[in-house]
Amino acid sequence: MDPNQPISAILVVLIPLLTAFAVPIIGFWRKNLCFYAACTALAAAFWCALHLLIFVHQRGPVDYFLGGWDPPWGIALRIDSLNALMGVLVTFLFSLTGIASKKSVPLELPLKEAPFYALFLLLFTGLLGMILTGDMFNLYVFLEVSSLTAYALIAMGEPGAMVASFRYLLMGTVGASWYLLGVGYLYIVTGTLNMADLSGLLREMEGSHAVLSGFAFILFGIAIKMALFPLHLWLPDAYAKAPSIVSTTIAPIMTKVMAYVLIRIGFTVFHPEYVVQAAKASGLLVWFGILAILFGGISALSQTDFKRMLAFIIVAEVGYIVGGIGIANPTALKGAIFHIVNDAVMMASLFLVGMMVTHRTGGHGINHFFGIFRKMPLTAIVFTIGALAVIGVPPTCGFFSKWYLLLGGIEAGHWAFVAALLVCTLINVALFFRVFDKGLYLHAKAPQSIPEPRIDALTIQEAPLGMLVVGGILAAGILAIGIGNSFIVKTLILPAVPGGL
Amino acid sequence: MALFLSMEYRPLWAVALPGLVSILILFSKNRPNLREMWTVAGSVCLFTMVLSMNAAVAVTGPLEVVLFPLFPGVAFHLRADAPGLIFATTASCLWILVSVYSIGYMRVLKEHAQTRFYFCFAVALFSAVGVAFSANLVTLFIFYEILTLSTYPLVAHEESPEAVSAGHKYLAYLLTGGVFFLIAILMTYHWVSSTGFHPQGILLPAAKNIPGWALSLVFVFFLIGCVKAAWMPLHAWLPSAMVAPTPVSALLHAVAVVKAGVFCIFRVVYYVYGLNLMAALHLGMILAVIAAFTILAANLYAVGQDNLKRMLAYSTINQLSFIILGIALLSPMAAKGALLHIPFHGFMKITLFLCAGAAAAIAGKKEISKMKGIGRALPITLGAFMIGAFGMCGAPPLAGFLSKWHIALGAIQSGGLVFLGVILAGSLLDVVYFFPVIREAFFGKIPESQMLLQDAEERVAPLEEKTKWMEKQRPLYLFMVIPLTVTAAFSILLCLFPGIFFIHDLAALAVTDIFGGR
Repeated sequence: MDPNQPISAILVVLIPLLTAFAVPIIGFWRKNLCFYAACTALAAAFWCALHLLIFVHQRGPVDYFLGGWDPPWGIALRIDSLNALMGVLVTFLFSLTGIASKKSVPLELPLKEAPFYALFLLLFTGLLGMILTGDMFNLYVFLEVSSLTAYALIAMGEPGAMVASFRYLLMGTVGASWYLLGVGYLYIVTGTLNMADLSGLLREMEGSHAVLSGFAFILFGIAIKMALFPLHLWLPDAYAKAPSIVSTTIAPIMTKVMAYVLIRIGFTVFHPEYVVQAAKASGLLVWFGILAILFGGISALSQTDFKRMLAFIIVAEVGYIVGGIGIANPTALKGAIFHIVNDAVMMASLFLVGMMVTHRTGGHGINHFFGIFRKMPLTAIVFTIGALAVIGVPPTCGFFSKWYLLLGGIEAGHWAFVAALLVCTLINVALFFRVFDKGLYLHAKAPQSIPEPRIDALTIQEAPLGMLVVGGILAAGILAIGIGNSFIVKTLILPAVPGGL
Repeated sequence: MALFLSMEYRPLWAVALPGLVSILILFSKNRPNLREMWTVAGSVCLFTMVLSMNAAVAVTGPLEVVLFPLFPGVAFHLRADAPGLIFATTASCLWILVSVYSIGYMRVLKEHAQTRFYFCFAVALFSAVGVAFSANLVTLFIFYEILTLSTYPLVAHEESPEAVSAGHKYLAYLLTGGVFFLIAILMTYHWVSSTGFHPQGILLPAAKNIPGWALSLVFVFFLIGCVKAAWMPLHAWLPSAMVAPTPVSALLHAVAVVKAGVFCIFRVVYYVYGLNLMAALHLGMILAVIAAFTILAANLYAVGQDNLKRMLAYSTINQLSFIILGIALLSPMAAKGALLHIPFHGFMKITLFLCAGAAAAIAGKKEISKMKGIGRALPITLGAFMIGAFGMCGAPPLAGFLSKWHIALGAIQSGGLVFLGVILAGSLLDVVYFFPVIREAFFGKIPESQMLLQDAEERVAPLEEKTKWMEKQRPLYLFMVIPLTVTAAFSILLCLFPGIFFIHDLAALAVTDIFGGR
């Protein structure tokens, strides 16, 4: 056993993959065991990811060669501070949603436990693979694994989910194809797929048009997958109509993983200087980020459905992250990476709230939030903390990543980005206080679409314990990340910021 | 326990105490008496804590607690210095009286959602004390935003469409202001990599490399951020916030929230920009003009009001600008007057609000036009109201005289005689709208129609020519009458003995810090 090749690097992908195949078999035998099998696998993967993060921080980046084959022949996993952090984030959130799924899956997806958990784990495998791999083509494979499972999972949802999923499938496939095409170009030019290899070889061919087109194709493909405005059209329907547990899982993570891929390819595979100066891609990214922020925020304002509103907020949040990446100075990039973490946690908490409310009231319209401060006080607390984080109220974590993003924008003199961020903050206030008002003010006019409940008849009907625990962990996490932000930024985020800026 | 008692940690405890109270309130929501006990006990403890710090700080200088880092060069940092303690003393002392008052008020009116009310109230106090003790802009901003959010459910407490839309207006103004505040803080941090307060300002070293217009623009952003100070034309949120229950209007919208805004202006002017930079950029003049305009305009608005609380709101806007004017004149006397006016106006204005609330809760009268002869039914309340009204006009021997005297002296000192005129004219206008209320209340003849039940609400008792003394009818009323008597008494005592609570010493100390030996 090579001490520089920690076994956890491969276990973190392998455990969920193998469990995913075992789950249908277990499901034939005992349906309720699927949940426990999945959770065990998720917890094990989380443990491995943590081990990996600590390992990377103690001994530096890890190159893990699958099957002992050296690159460029074999597939390599390359784990540095950035993707070790992403690995922990994704495994952490998946473990939590796994726990929260216990009561939700039998209710929303009756008799589909086994396929659900199998797909759930496959999705998890795909995302982790994308994060950990050091190979461009391998990334494509995992991208397809995660996307295909996501299509299937989304299609299980409420009426209309099938169409939404099909639309996502079309757009997603186009995106993945663009990505593959770009990788093909790079392969033709350099003859390698390994990222480290590519990075060295590409440095010498920066003038090449083939490289430029390859880069553009890849960027375009990623932009579709991460729902960057104006390529976000698939996202709102897909996330709003998916089963609650699926949107709780996919919505916070999928776009963030693609943002990671953007950072990885933009700053590791290609040289930052190339991206910023020769290709002039970063300036373009900021402007698309700004448009996404404004468009996402304004569209969210007109939504009457809580999950759809959150979906549009995600479009805006993607804009934050892409803008931060595009500004490409260390402060902004620090903000972008920090925001990836924060946004995943706070979106997870909010979608979880959507799930809890759906579980108790049977829907996720904003009207269903009527009286939740009375009916579901703990859920309401989680909601409050999550919403304040999205708005960016200190001391929640959202404030601190916004601070770095804004400071990065100021340092770069990019005032439009700064203004867009601040405007979106105000829009978020309007968005969430609409929901607060529904939940808090019972004497105000009761919503029309649900039968008017008697106010004194509102009794406590809290969500199931598993979901509450998860919600509590997420809410505590939001506050803990906020208060410990200095420590987290120093130890986890700063090492993850790519060099060469 | 040793940690609790040691002087150096007291700023932290003072901030944490109301936070703790808020949690206890939440947990005892089914036992109203215990819940109110927490509020009263917490407020008494807080006030004692702050007073003990007053004594120490007046002798030995500020107390500091650094908790944890937030950004490179910025920590979560609390410092109890002289201006902060003046603000904290005001807020905490009045919290005691208002919590006693609100027991009476909320129970007499049988208000709904009382736990939410007391919880938000405690959180608001938590953030107000936090604002007072913040040692840098980021810490200040954190508490400042919590203050905005925690008072929103209080403004919309009534839950009527009018109250909810007032709440929305409140949020729209204050949070938009917060965004400007944030950008100003970011620019400050960008320029000097620090946001800590210093009596001589922190921006001066960087001022050489920054164009003056940028500094002025950021100052304007700071001012917009301090929209809580309700300077005109950004004042509209305050009169509409008066739909809140009276204890809220009294403590939060006459003391804690609005004074937090004024206090932030004080911090920004003297502790971020500093005296010299303010003078060099002529920013003091801009601020003084805004304040002078507000003083006159707010009084003109107040003259036409029929709703007593709205009239008081405009009076608050006017008095807040007296403080801003005192800050803007950049002279030691005026700054001292501004600092003194923070507690003095607090005590006087809260008296007025408590009286207005008592009149509404006991006699059911909210409009001035319906208050004819009410002084005979509520002699103590209206007597206290009279004292408060005299104080607003700056008549001796009331606290308002002392602070306005200082500000007026400062105007002469800094050579701005125009502003002296504004101060005098402003005080005169106070008389114009306060005195009719008092005259009508005591000497007005009750019209015939008024004797019948006017409002549909049952609790509104008709006034009769031989009215009984209503204040002694129910023991619950005492919860309201006693606090307002105490604040009225303090309004007089503070003028005769300005050394109470060390307020005068602290103001002098702060002025010495800022202006040196001048």
